[in-house]
Amino acid sequence: MADMSEHTTPTPCEPQWHNPLRDPRDLRLPRIAGPCSIVIFGVTGDLSRKKLLPAIYDLANRGLLPPSFGLTGFARRDWTEDHFRDFVKENVKEHCRTHFHESTWKQLAEGIRFVQGTFEDADAFERLSNTVAELDRDRGTRGNHAFYMSVPPRDFPIVAKQLANCGLAKSEGDAWRRVIIEKPFGHDLASAKKLDAVISEVFDPDSVFRIDHYLGKETVQNLLALRFANTMYEPIWNANYVDHVQITMAEDIGVAGRAGYYDGIGAARDVIQNHLLQLMALTAMEEPVSFSARDLTDEKTKVLSAVRLPKDLAAHTARGQYSAGWQGSEPVVGYLEEKGISPDSTTETYAAVRLDIDTRRWAGVPFYLRTGKRLGRRVTEIALVFKRAPHLPFESTATQELGKNAIVIRIQPYEGVTIRFGSKVPGGTSMEVRDVSMDFSYGRSFTESSPEAYERLILDVLLGEPPLFPTTQEVDLSWKILDPIEDFWSTLGQPQPYRSGTWGPQEAVEMLARDGHRWRMP
Amino acid sequence: MIITLRDTQTSTISEKIDTLHEERGEVALGRVLTLLILTDEDNLEDALRLANEASLDHPCRVIAITPSTRRMTEPEEERTYLDAEVRIGADAGAGEIIVLRPRGGLIHHQDTLVIPLLVPDAPVVAWWPTEAPANPSKDLVGAMAHSRITDAMRSSNPLRTMEDLRRNWSPKNVDMSWTRLTLWRAMLASLLDQPPHLRITSVTVCGPTAYLPMDLLAAWLTLQLNVPVSIEREPDATAITGVTMTREDGGVLSLERRPAEDSIATISVPGQSPQTIPLPIRSLGDCLSEELGRLYPDEIYAQVVTQGWKKIHPNDD
Repeated sequence: MADMSEHTTPTPCEPQWHNPLRDPRDLRLPRIAGPCSIVIFGVTGDLSRKKLLPAIYDLANRGLLPPSFGLTGFARRDWTEDHFRDFVKENVKEHCRTHFHESTWKQLAEGIRFVQGTFEDADAFERLSNTVAELDRDRGTRGNHAFYMSVPPRDFPIVAKQLANCGLAKSEGDAWRRVIIEKPFGHDLASAKKLDAVISEVFDPDSVFRIDHYLGKETVQNLLALRFANTMYEPIWNANYVDHVQITMAEDIGVAGRAGYYDGIGAARDVIQNHLLQLMALTAMEEPVSFSARDLTDEKTKVLSAVRLPKDLAAHTARGQYSAGWQGSEPVVGYLEEKGISPDSTTETYAAVRLDIDTRRWAGVPFYLRTGKRLGRRVTEIALVFKRAPHLPFESTATQELGKNAIVIRIQPYEGVTIRFGSKVPGGTSMEVRDVSMDFSYGRSFTESSPEAYERLILDVLLGEPPLFPTTQEVDLSWKILDPIEDFWSTLGQPQPYRSGTWGPQEAVEMLARDGHRWRMP
Repeated sequence: MIITLRDTQTSTISEKIDTLHEERGEVALGRVLTLLILTDEDNLEDALRLANEASLDHPCRVIAITPSTRRMTEPEEERTYLDAEVRIGADAGAGEIIVLRPRGGLIHHQDTLVIPLLVPDAPVVAWWPTEAPANPSKDLVGAMAHSRITDAMRSSNPLRTMEDLRRNWSPKNVDMSWTRLTLWRAMLASLLDQPPHLRITSVTVCGPTAYLPMDLLAAWLTLQLNVPVSIEREPDATAITGVTMTREDGGVLSLERRPAEDSIATISVPGQSPQTIPLPIRSLGDCLSEELGRLYPDEIYAQVVTQGWKKIHPNDD
């Protein structure tokens, strides 16, 4: 998969130039980002503290950042640059994946700047513009700057406008400007289009990096390798053998800290629209012509456009809201009692939907997507459940404990693959077949700590590698799938409560029972 | 835990490992490779420590073979025997370690000695931490390895060892002198990534006298850039201290690290103020880890030792 980067934009003026020190056969050489800086909006937020800042440090520690590197924080707090530096150091120390080395830190710290201001304040953006220009001059960042919008989606338009007004959104000559926005991309088709219009008015479409941090590039590539580098999965990866597919993302946490964002959005918009539909597309798509971002998008788009919603949405979708209970050994409050949530909120914290894909490969195979907060444990997986063998040459008593075969792709935790199949119980007076698991885990078979998704992601942005993340077209298609379901749900009133720490509402259990299936207990 | 088995058999060692895994409730199936270490008693612990470090990234079974130095009791004088040690858990990184100390005729059958102990269906990597055989691919253990790692720099006569290795080069061989260069090579390549993309006309490499990695770096640069590379020896340097590249417009790009132990490199590019970046001398642990993560034949290394070297040392055969 070395050619994932094939479609990077070549330098327009010298398309023929090739770095003589880079040889495609030289797989040892890592790509190091060129001179550049990154500006983080919302730098004091959770994401920035726990993920972005440590990821930047880890990249520096792995030697993948250039010597000419700047990091600018933009926030409301009335801090001096030293304050901010201490803040970064503290969070890096606490959350970094690699060892903390004072020498790496010292070098990184020299390029750290802070700009105080609000998004409405044009002067603050003027100061930001000056800071960035100063980095170009003093640190040699050569006009290459990335803007990370770690802010609520409602603030995207204003930040984009301000960047445009102070001239930061456009670059000259060889220099680049890139903007990184995190999901959610809107809350329905109309708002997604509007958001896209605002962003693309300011930034060049190629400079916009939409990311879904749940879905790291590593995960996507692992899935692609599993499906397309092997022979033994492809022949059974279709409606002839697959009975149904269950895609799950369960969280054990509640909405804590994200109440303001979450209420009114809900589980489906938060997770199904982007993450689960992407996982479904990757699982169901045909083999792409190459693994370049463009060819991958083509295949994902095809699958997403072939998705059919169930006719009876009431029977084939389910919603729930967590109620008070015990999360493992800890007592927790219900969604309606959470701070910042209105006591009559109808926002769902659990959502499950059945989708069908109208292609020859998948005709008649339902895809069940579910997600929820305060579920049994934190897990993300894709399970392909196979049909039973057409004939079992055993006494029926011998196979009463035999379930359906399954291939389970675990995304997190313990990224890997499990195959479930029947095996004879050793010994015994009579023949007995029972389900067993065969396990593969990346962690055990390869490196102890593979790079954080954010490291990959930030490095890709700085290198200008097109990310394997949804394009506008995919985002729009996803909303087209979800919008009718959301419309239907909005007519329903209160979602069914489920006890915290369980696997969701009864409605969801019944939804699968109707089709003769059962949710896995991941 | 370290278990010592005196005068033992490979089948006993195998059984012991299986029992230990069973008792401890561990699965031994996740090992991705077997790392064979060929060394002597003096370098054993050092090599095992590095292997432990690397095994965190690449869970492996480590088998070290060192000729026995045990003083013999009378009756054993006449015969061949095998002492072994099994290390597991806290004493063995992310896998298990088997130390084999053969004596007598067994020393000459090292391949069949380790075959019963290899991880089934997994690649074998042979590593000579210090002294290397003149022709690793003809060595009994080397011949069955998927990757053969030598370290000429740590042998008693680095230049002589390198000469042998070059003469007997084979696609699965690699020398750690090359691995030590990866960070330098990456930094230099990224220097040239940046515009303006002008041709390089000459290069100077600075470093200690008699330092193999520097010769390999020079050989690589001359091959890739197709320009003359001069080598400047700095007697008190301990590692590579600088590379200077002159562009066709006369501009000079440089990457310098003086003194090397400070681990801080300075990059100078025309029209820019110099920038510093951490560039520590590469640790052996990192090098070993890089080699274990790469089991394909390194074609660039192949070109450097077979063609590039001659351009740097035209007087060698």
